[in-house]
Amino acid sequence: MSVFLLSSDNGEFRVDKDIAERSVLIKNMLEDVGDSDSPIPLPNVSSKVLGKVIEWCTHHRDDPTTQDDHERRNTDIEEWDQKYMDVDQETLFDIILAANYLDIKPLLDVGCKTVANMIKGKSAEEIRRTFNITNDFTPEEEAQIKKENEWAEDR
Amino acid sequence: LYEIINSCDNSQLTYLNNLIAPRLKIDFLKELPIEISLHVLTFIDDPKTLARAATVSTLWNSLLKDEATWKSLCMKHQYRRRNSSICGGELLDPPSQRRNFSYREYFKRKYNIAAAWAHGGKVKVVEDGFGDGLVTSLQYDEKYIVVGCDNHRIEVFDTNTAEKVRTLEGHEGGVWALQFKGGEKHDPERILVTGGCDRDVRVWNLNTGELRHTLRGHNSTVRCLRMKDKRIAVTGSRDTTMRVWDIQRGALLHVLLGHQASVRCMEISGNIVVSGSYDSTARVWDLRTGRCLHVLAGHYTQIYAIAFDGHKVVTGSLDSNIRVWSAETGQCLATLHGHTSLVGQLQLSGSTLVSGGSDGCLRVWDLQHYECIQQISAHDNSVTCLQFDDRRMVSAGNDGRIKLWDIKQGRLIRNFTQPAKTVWKIQFSDTKAVVLMQRRRSSNSDEGKTVMEVHDFDIGEI
Repeated sequence: MSVFLLSSDNGEFRVDKDIAERSVLIKNMLEDVGDSDSPIPLPNVSSKVLGKVIEWCTHHRDDPTTQDDHERRNTDIEEWDQKYMDVDQETLFDIILAANYLDIKPLLDVGCKTVANMIKGKSAEEIRRTFNITNDFTPEEEAQIKKENEWAEDR
Repeated sequence: LYEIINSCDNSQLTYLNNLIAPRLKIDFLKELPIEISLHVLTFIDDPKTLARAATVSTLWNSLLKDEATWKSLCMKHQYRRRNSSICGGELLDPPSQRRNFSYREYFKRKYNIAAAWAHGGKVKVVEDGFGDGLVTSLQYDEKYIVVGCDNHRIEVFDTNTAEKVRTLEGHEGGVWALQFKGGEKHDPERILVTGGCDRDVRVWNLNTGELRHTLRGHNSTVRCLRMKDKRIAVTGSRDTTMRVWDIQRGALLHVLLGHQASVRCMEISGNIVVSGSYDSTARVWDLRTGRCLHVLAGHYTQIYAIAFDGHKVVTGSLDSNIRVWSAETGQCLATLHGHTSLVGQLQLSGSTLVSGGSDGCLRVWDLQHYECIQQISAHDNSVTCLQFDDRRMVSAGNDGRIKLWDIKQGRLIRNFTQPAKTVWKIQFSDTKAVVLMQRRRSSNSDEGKTVMEVHDFDIGEI
């Protein structure tokens, strides 16, 4: 049994139902409509990103759907997911938004972990460079905030 | 576009690259919906990174003030309230009961406390205050440190200042056992029960120093005692008996007869008291009736230590074995082999048992599978003091050393203090530790001097 997905730019995707149902949004939609072959419109997701998301859902089609909270808290990313997430920042950003919209929690977690890993262990200046952020503190503010956050340094 | 790039030289390309590369970057925390940004932060479990991230920009700074991030960090670092009966008293205020509570501040405080534990806290040293007394017993809470000495005296100190509050005098022989209860917000009065060589049991109001009762009946030294609450206490003696007292009225309720030799150790849970004796048995008693419910026979020699959680009784013996018994049926559930000498120290918490032996070893046992999960050669000589909680363990030995351990990895964190001649007693809680020991008067003298150290780990940023 397969379903028809329609991306924002009218890309058509035919995927197995169990793969599509990794998305709680699609799963709920399918339950509402019942079995029909009309395409499901996903106006917030482009073909490029939807293709990426389907790639992930296909690889993880057999994962158990429920994970306990502890497991979700785990910050490790499995190897396949690491490679999958090795994309430019814009794609990563779009995947996270799509996972959020489509309600695919494990994919959202992997995306968020990937961003978290880009932050971890970096100095403020390195973080700014990584994400092209402007330091918008006044010198006084910066000195104050640095002081407030010194407690965690080098223990 | 392709044509333009093709006609550029390397320095122009570098210029272009520097121009373009940043544009391909995204400030995720700014551009993502806020709940997703916060979700990202929950995957960072390193406070250093979080503190640095707070200095990136005003937006990042405001995100990092979010409580959910710090709450999640508190959970990950297991900065939670702990069972007071395990740690012996003092706790940080529970989050839910504090107004204006901030997980960020809470985390920061806990983090600083953990750092102080790892690197050493502020230490107050009390050198004069014990005369020539040797220390036999110790208990403290957030207000009082109570020290029992073999010179008949009980010294009471202020936990925060380490200054002496008073000396409780009255015992005519060395004090061997003491315990106090009370001192909670709704119940500030503290009742202290003491016993020793003069065979008397004394009941004191610890807050005022007033002697409430002198309870007579034992024919020999009171070796151990436990309070059920501020009303009922049980004492064990070299006269082989145990006595249950109404310490409020000052009356004897029951004499527990059965042991054939000195009662060395006991524990209470609910209405059940368990005792370990030099007659090599342990016994389970009902406090209300004074009846012996079970005789736990199996050890070959004297029992020196006992632990009890209401269901499992654990005994440590001179025969170098540890036995686990069911308090309900009296059955021996397991015999834990491993120590090669007397097992004199036991603590039980959840399914974790830690034992200390005269072989100088500490052993951490999993009582679900009756397995030894850590074996630590801790001291050159007998382990004389032992305490653990869910993060750390402190042990002391006849080698005069006090060591702080990471209980999960069985790794030495640090030597807790300068080596002593003898370590009498140690007790610690989340934020403090009290050590009583004997130090040499001078480096070339063998004469000892009793010293107390109060270590404070809640000292803010160091």
